[in-house]
Amino acid sequence: MTVRHVCALVLLVLGVAVLLLSAAALIALPRPYGRLHALTPATSLGLPLVALALAVETGPGRSAVKLLVIAALTAVGGAVTTMAIGRATAQNARLLRKDSPP
Amino acid sequence: MNAWLVASAVLLTLGLPPCLWQVYRRTPQERLAGLNLAATMCSAILLLFTEGFNRSSYVDLPLVLAVLAPAGTLVFARFLGGQAAQGEPD
Repeated sequence: MTVRHVCALVLLVLGVAVLLLSAAALIALPRPYGRLHALTPATSLGLPLVALALAVETGPGRSAVKLLVIAALTAVGGAVTTMAIGRATAQNARLLRKDSPP
Repeated sequence: MNAWLVASAVLLTLGLPPCLWQVYRRTPQERLAGLNLAATMCSAILLLFTEGFNRSSYVDLPLVLAVLAPAGTLVFARFLGGQAAQGEPD
């Protein structure tokens, strides 16, 4: 049990905990806008922590870079999609015009 | 059975069902939120599988999912937003 493996396991547990909290928040938070708050912790913190744990475990190299690219893509994509879903919800509730600026 | 497979089992059994439950109910926009979180959960599970089964070449699957899932969600959001009123809000 090397120090690197212990660090990877700690990051893994934190990442999985954040993902599980997001899943619970998706059900528990009030409809429909409160639930959108459950999405971003998973994409901005949960998955990047899991990817970081895997990168620490595999050690420096090309595969670690690929893992960190996945984390970055998910973090950026998560923020954008959460805003898009919020906008679609507001448009459908007629709070926003259809051609409102994004 | 190593830590990575245990983590993926935990995510499969405790993380994915709430997302599927959310996808199953209520308005299409709320279902889209469940779909978005399910995609993130599946990316994490696929990542853990690659390390758990010691197949580093499988990392391409979550990489493709990390690219396509947001794109798919944006397309859905575009169409679901389109059902809004044409004129001024009420």
